[in-house]
Amino acid sequence: MPELRSARAYGEGALVVCARELGAYFDSPIAYICAAVFLALSGTTFMNTFFLDGVVDMGPYFEVLPFLLIPFLPALSMRTWAEERAQHTFELLLTLPLRPSQLVLGKYLAALGFYLVVLAGSLPIPLMLCWLGDPDLGLILANYLGAASLGGLFLAFGVFVSCLTRNQIVAFVLAALLGFLFVFSGHEQVIEVLDGLSPSWQAGTWLAETVSALPHYQALGRGVVALADLAYFALLSAFFLWANEQVLRRGKY
Amino acid sequence: MISALSLTRYYGALKAVDAVSFTVERGEIVGFVGPNGAGKSTVLKMLSTFLLPTSGQILIDGLDAAVEPLEVRRRIGYLSGDTPLYLDMRVDGFLRFVGRARGLRGAELANHFERTVATCGLQGVLEQRVGQCSTGFRQRIGLASALIHDPPILLLDEPTHGFDPLQVMAFRQLLRQLSRQRAVLFSTHIIADVEAASDRVLIIHQGRLLAQGRLPALAASIGKPQAGLEEIFAHLVQTGAETAHA
Repeated sequence: MPELRSARAYGEGALVVCARELGAYFDSPIAYICAAVFLALSGTTFMNTFFLDGVVDMGPYFEVLPFLLIPFLPALSMRTWAEERAQHTFELLLTLPLRPSQLVLGKYLAALGFYLVVLAGSLPIPLMLCWLGDPDLGLILANYLGAASLGGLFLAFGVFVSCLTRNQIVAFVLAALLGFLFVFSGHEQVIEVLDGLSPSWQAGTWLAETVSALPHYQALGRGVVALADLAYFALLSAFFLWANEQVLRRGKY
Repeated sequence: MISALSLTRYYGALKAVDAVSFTVERGEIVGFVGPNGAGKSTVLKMLSTFLLPTSGQILIDGLDAAVEPLEVRRRIGYLSGDTPLYLDMRVDGFLRFVGRARGLRGAELANHFERTVATCGLQGVLEQRVGQCSTGFRQRIGLASALIHDPPILLLDEPTHGFDPLQVMAFRQLLRQLSRQRAVLFSTHIIADVEAASDRVLIIHQGRLLAQGRLPALAASIGKPQAGLEEIFAHLVQTGAETAHA
């Protein structure tokens, strides 16, 4: 059973880091401000559409969500490593008997956990819809799965980018730019423009089909929970976490 | 317990540490002295496994630091020169976090926590945030974080930075007490700290180890048996002499 013991020790190490990070989020006024602005914006945008259309459907909430996540999630992830470097606690972490992957995983899970708590702040909306009518709960659940997956991807590259700099603003801007690329490369109008600029090799369509997160998110939003879409988010997130671990390892040289 | 074998470290084109070799045994306090920028911190960062040497080998308790870094880190208590602390955490929360990250749990963590808090005199600030503590207390918190797992090897980079004279004296006593069962290597540019607290001295300048040994032997090696460390250091730097293993 030594493998089991070492797997348990590995998990415990990552959880110790995760718990500290979660504590730091719940202790940070910036995190609360970002969460409040995010919930207020997403909630009021939805309620506006809801009162205009009068349809018991949560679809409009999730349509706007990717665009709101572009600034919100980088604001959460920007501090993860950049702050450690600025406060010199980077050296403390990297001389603890923990693997770089445990540190990355712990920080990532904490950011994801905080995001999911904030996302849970939108639960009064489906409760309200259930009270007013008979919404498709399966569809709402699939949409929440899409929101969690997309957020997971945003945070994976946000945490990675934060490891490249000691400046939180730089980390925020780089992560927001990546988020912009992953979302807008799947936007219909952007695809049309890019295809129009390069009719021979259809750059817009190619980008949307290969890089963009939006088509995968939208597929989940239609209630189609396909393995390919979930694998896209899982593999791409895992890639950024692996890249983050490599940066930590290379930093010793 | 600590063996540094021909350690060399480059930062880009700059050679920060040049073929430095020494050993530190259990029960010994070794002072690592040199001016700012001499390479003391870089050597300690390599010993702590934070940095890899460009060439050379580090053996900690017989373990190769490049091959078994996790096992090496378990045996080391390291206080970096920047005193890395989470300023937004409470002192007790911070020390428990470091203890847990070092694998301590339950009653074992509680025992180590109590002992370390008593050793470092932190009883009065446990419920304060680290950021609210004075520089001297922050240094003590950093020392406590290096001691909480009761390591057999202590690496301390500028440990008396921010201490008032009374705290410096208390620290020297603490160091003596801690060294009974440990190998202690501490760096400083304060000559008095080394003279008062260490059994043996390593003198480094511009990345090169100029001399190592006990003070009387070093003084004799430069032909001035009554010389203090300051005079020895000035002589070695001026002559560029390399009095290895005095």
